[in-house]
Amino acid sequence: MWNKRDEELGRPMPPQQPGAAPPLPASQPQPAVSDRYETSSAAIGSSIKIVGDVSGDEDLTILGKIEGKILLPKHSVTIGQTGRVKADIQAKFVSVAGEVHGNLVAAEQIVIRKTATMLGNLTAPRVGLEDGCRFRGSVEMEAPAEKARPAGATVDRSSGTSSTSSGSGAGSSAAGSSPAAPAPKHEPLARP
Amino acid sequence: MSLWRAPERPVRWFMRTSPAVEPAAVGAHRSLALQALLKGLHAEERPAVLDLGPPLSGNIKFLSALNCRVRVADIHRSLIAEPVEKRRPESMPALLEGLLPLAPDERFDAVFAWDTFDYLRKDQVAALMARLLPRFRRSTTMLVLVSMRRQLPAVPVRYRIVDRENLDCEKPAAHGSSEPMRPCPQYKQSDLAHMMPGLRVRRCYLLRSGIQEYLMGPD
Repeated sequence: MWNKRDEELGRPMPPQQPGAAPPLPASQPQPAVSDRYETSSAAIGSSIKIVGDVSGDEDLTILGKIEGKILLPKHSVTIGQTGRVKADIQAKFVSVAGEVHGNLVAAEQIVIRKTATMLGNLTAPRVGLEDGCRFRGSVEMEAPAEKARPAGATVDRSSGTSSTSSGSGAGSSAAGSSPAAPAPKHEPLARP
Repeated sequence: MSLWRAPERPVRWFMRTSPAVEPAAVGAHRSLALQALLKGLHAEERPAVLDLGPPLSGNIKFLSALNCRVRVADIHRSLIAEPVEKRRPESMPALLEGLLPLAPDERFDAVFAWDTFDYLRKDQVAALMARLLPRFRRSTTMLVLVSMRRQLPAVPVRYRIVDRENLDCEKPAAHGSSEPMRPCPQYKQSDLAHMMPGLRVRRCYLLRSGIQEYLMGPD
């Protein structure tokens, strides 16, 4: 039994009987179900394998296997040490500690950890490679929107932001999910 | 009269033949070859650079700041990760095709070979360059570092671009340490010419450390 007066004054409650339901403070309303999961991120466990496209509107942590395409342009994608991904990834921020065969396009940053094996091309304004990582591919440190800009298109540079598009941007840099895909086609430079 | 005699100094010329007194290990050093190579890169043309060495974040950042597109090949580590039977001379062209896929119209304006060739057989160097040479433009320059020492660390050192004139690298352990060493091929300029027909040495600098810096380009 507890002293209702102790509860109101915020004193520590006496130990409860095993199996008894925890008392609900009357002053604190029960949070809504939707609020509980609003800031959580999704995770793909180490035993999970997905073949297909993955898209969504929250951060994603991958500890299992994915083959296909991952589209989370406004969120972060983290591949853990046990993650094995054969896919092109488009996200706001990408961190790789496992194995990825595919091209990465990030609106903000790509980080390749020292435990990572990365085969593919990286496109992001900031790219970090920790010493000891395995990496083969090309690096283009520019905003994906700039890279995807076709001839004649206009880009709003005043805002200083770049928005990724899942259309020509990723398509021009990706060559399927084959590892270490060749760099995108560039016109030969005119030389004197 | 004192019977004590000061110990004689050891005879230095004997010690010169000992690995223990080989030229000092390379640390940070001024690189005229690097300076010349970077002079040939024009940022407004967005040059394409191929790095045959391991991925180093600092090098990528430095070259990206020069508006370069950087391709990292990490050739040595990729090769040693393959089974021995795939690394036979007759299998090298096919192996390199998988390790270094190239787009049909991909070209490079600069190639950083670092000391990669010191860790490759002659046939491996020849196969690699046969694959890369068609991707050179007439103005393309390749930086090659060749050691004249008798031994090398078993694991290649990592060269970092400090600035437009200086390189730094992890110093090899001194003789007698536990770090494994291997014989150095000591490729001469004639060896390079034989392994890479179609390329010639444009400049050559010998460092006091025993490292030879070559700048090579198409004939």
